[in-house]
Amino acid sequence: MHPSTPTRFIDPSLLAGLSHLDLVAKTVVDGFVAGLHRSPDFGFSQEFAEYRAYSPGDDLRHVDWNVFARTERMYLKRYRGETNCQLTLMLDSSASMGYSSHGITKLDYGRFLAVSLAYMANQQRDAAGVIIFDDDVRNYVRPSTRQGQFMRVAHAIEHAQLGTRTDFAKPFIHFQNFLRRRGIVVVISDFYEQPDTIIKTVAPLRFRGNELVLFHVLDPQEIRPKLKEPVLLVDVETDDALEVSPEYAKEEYTVKIDAHIDDLRKKANAANIDYCLLRTDRPLDDAMREYFLIRKGKM
Amino acid sequence: MGFLSPWFLAGAAAVGLPLWIHLLRQYRSTPHPFSSLMFFERRTQSSIKHRRLRYLLLLSLRILLLILIAFAFANPFVTRTSAASEGRRMLIIAVDNSFSMRYGDHLARAKQEALGAVSNLRPGDRGQVLAVGSHVHFMTQPVEDTNQLKAAIQSIQPSDERSSYGELARALRTISQSSSMPLQVDFFSDMQKSSLPPAFADLRLASDTNLIFHSVADSKEPNWMVESVTAPAKIYDPKKVRVQAVIAGDGTPAAKRTVSLVLDGKVLDMKSVDVPASGRASVEFLSLDSPHGFHKAEIRIDPRDSLAEDDRFAFAIERADPHPVLFLHTGGQERDQLYYRSALESVPEAGFVLEPLAADQAANQSLSKYAFVVLSDVGSLPAGLEASLRGYVNGGGSLLVALGPASAALGHVPVSGETIQGSSYSSLDQDRFQTVASADAEHPALRRANKLEGVQFYQVMRVDPGQSRVVARLTNQAPLLLEKQVGEGRVLVFTSRFDNISNDLPLHASFVPFIEETARYLGGQQDQSTNVAVDSYIELRSAKEHGAAVEVIDPDGKHPLSLKESTTAPSFQVDREGFYEIHRTNGRQEMVAVHADRRESDLTVVPPETLELWRNTGRGTDVSNATAGAPGTPVRPWSLWRYALLLVLIIAIIESLLASRYLSVEKEAA
Repeated sequence: MHPSTPTRFIDPSLLAGLSHLDLVAKTVVDGFVAGLHRSPDFGFSQEFAEYRAYSPGDDLRHVDWNVFARTERMYLKRYRGETNCQLTLMLDSSASMGYSSHGITKLDYGRFLAVSLAYMANQQRDAAGVIIFDDDVRNYVRPSTRQGQFMRVAHAIEHAQLGTRTDFAKPFIHFQNFLRRRGIVVVISDFYEQPDTIIKTVAPLRFRGNELVLFHVLDPQEIRPKLKEPVLLVDVETDDALEVSPEYAKEEYTVKIDAHIDDLRKKANAANIDYCLLRTDRPLDDAMREYFLIRKGKM
Repeated sequence: MGFLSPWFLAGAAAVGLPLWIHLLRQYRSTPHPFSSLMFFERRTQSSIKHRRLRYLLLLSLRILLLILIAFAFANPFVTRTSAASEGRRMLIIAVDNSFSMRYGDHLARAKQEALGAVSNLRPGDRGQVLAVGSHVHFMTQPVEDTNQLKAAIQSIQPSDERSSYGELARALRTISQSSSMPLQVDFFSDMQKSSLPPAFADLRLASDTNLIFHSVADSKEPNWMVESVTAPAKIYDPKKVRVQAVIAGDGTPAAKRTVSLVLDGKVLDMKSVDVPASGRASVEFLSLDSPHGFHKAEIRIDPRDSLAEDDRFAFAIERADPHPVLFLHTGGQERDQLYYRSALESVPEAGFVLEPLAADQAANQSLSKYAFVVLSDVGSLPAGLEASLRGYVNGGGSLLVALGPASAALGHVPVSGETIQGSSYSSLDQDRFQTVASADAEHPALRRANKLEGVQFYQVMRVDPGQSRVVARLTNQAPLLLEKQVGEGRVLVFTSRFDNISNDLPLHASFVPFIEETARYLGGQQDQSTNVAVDSYIELRSAKEHGAAVEVIDPDGKHPLSLKESTTAPSFQVDREGFYEIHRTNGRQEMVAVHADRRESDLTVVPPETLELWRNTGRGTDVSNATAGAPGTPVRPWSLWRYALLLVLIIAIIESLLASRYLSVEKEAA
């Protein structure tokens, strides 16, 4: 954010000062929605899309009886994103998500994002659930539209603790076992894994008719590290130590991380998976706006 | 290789500083947690090693820089054989043309032998001719042309200067430093012992200098001379003149000599004197009848010897009328006048004559003709006298004020204006008398008065010094003698009287010198030297006098000073015997007699062992390095500090470039 231009975007560091995630979500989403000129396709809305001829076995509740009265034919109303859209949030809570260079960790940023999405789904009567994982599933709230579901999801997100290292395979296999209905799966992680492995792990979800969204959360220091002198870096997940020179961080590392991000984006697009890179110094509602604009273009 | 200042090598210990900065400070790493080292590879360390290597390069440069600075300050040198100059050499022909070389045919022989030495100039050698007096005169530049060298030798003329071997050695050192060739110096001289400098170290030569002596004198030449003449600069009464001359013989047998007093070329008087063997005899002439004005006088001995120039001694003399001194007093005080007159006129050389006058009769007196004015315990001044006194002093006149009881009525010191606070009688106080507690012995009035020690003062006038300078104080801290500059003139205040009632000064031996020196000081007769030696400096003007020209006329009647020099030069060095006329800015004319330094008349030669020692100062390193090069090959130190500093400069530039490059990386990173 430029300090001299007034903006309605909300700085993540301000959100960090709010005590409850539900308030964070309300602040972000309300601010975000208020900034839109017309109602967009949110992806899990209940807006009318088309008619479909009735076939035996269909739920009679969805028959448009007005049309039947006029035409004596039975048609079913179809809605965009299905009426009973299911949003599953997968939040990485591995140790690497605890890194921060400017006051807000990647996990915090992920929490804000996840709870904002959950709030938005809840507002639209969609089912929202969450999986907190690192190298295993640490917490799971099944998607539901029951009363108080949002608070359950928010509670689970708020109490997510930093775990150990990331392992996509195990939680995703676990998740596939839980997944019964189609819906939208949002993965929030720093994705410190080879892009092939990531895509290979998450792609099966896509095959089951789910829409998959990868939110790649990174700290600015991870994208463009700034070192003044050689430092000893310690991997928070493995405790490996390595001495790094400013020149290397400035040149070779930057090339590598850029290549990693680019590779992941390309592979995700190739697998028809939405990908969005989020820097933790970026306003959250701004990030959401960009993402939904991308989604709108796809629908 | 050696070092001229090896202690500076201790500065190399400063290399610890970059070592600390680079090795201890730079690589202190504190662990920084990071998300993942997935994109950092092990070969990253090679990058750090590379960086460390580059830092090590910077470290090496910095260490080298400090070592080189210490090295340069230690002034390193290597001895280099002069074979590098391909056997060429510089031939220096030095001919002594000092006053003593006028003895017989010494200078002619020296020049003849010097001409012969020119033939030693080999092809490729360069030669230079020097004339050695009190200074070294370079008769040629270094040349290879023998004809030019011979012409320069022929042109050497005898001088009246005193020879200085120290100056010769200094010139040779300078030539050696500026020349890349070894020096061979042929020195033709009478080898006077008196020409050696006080410190033998002043004779040292450069290591590549080979000094060869060519003496033109025998071990001891007999010589008579007029050693000194004591005569007054001014004579006021021809009947009361005393001229003393000392006739000396050096290496001479006992003999009778005729001494003549010559005035303006005319012999006034002649006396015969017996001079003992290698001894001295004095002659005195008691009259010098001369008309008014300046006169060229000399004392001459006959028969002349081989050094005829020191058989005469020139001195300048001026016949003048005594300067009148106005003595103003209060009537009835004859005692002050008596003592003052007696003291002043007991020194006829001073040239003062006292004119007493009662103060109340001096109202219309013209003061300009007096050398100075004395106010002796004057109680009241007639109308207009103080104003005319002030005008007289402002215009450059001088006033001596002696204060007594009558002066207390004035309330202030005339002209100077200092307040008279009252009279102090020691007999009424606890002390019976006061003595001088502190005095400026350098003040002209007290220079020969022994600070008025032992003089008892019974009555003095208490004067507030104000802006006057206190020259002498009594034991009760009351000022005794004060001086104040008023305009161009000065006022000297004596807070007691010149009788033997207020004090017992007239009864002491210091009275006459005190009165005489005070009179000379106030009358402007200080520092009148009319009889100086060659190479002396004559003061032409004081610091205050500038702009006006001082005219100097040398013995040939020429003006040695240019117009600019005559208006700016503070002094003038006389370089030859004879009479110089000086016309000063205030219109006064002086005549100065210049004679050769009589140390030149001592023809004792330097012992051969001393000459050998002198010669060896130029061959010391030659001997020590005989093992390094061919025996007898001249060597010379070759200083390396310039090269070291050049290296320092280059390394400093590289270091700056390298360091700024690293710094730019860090700035980008920041």
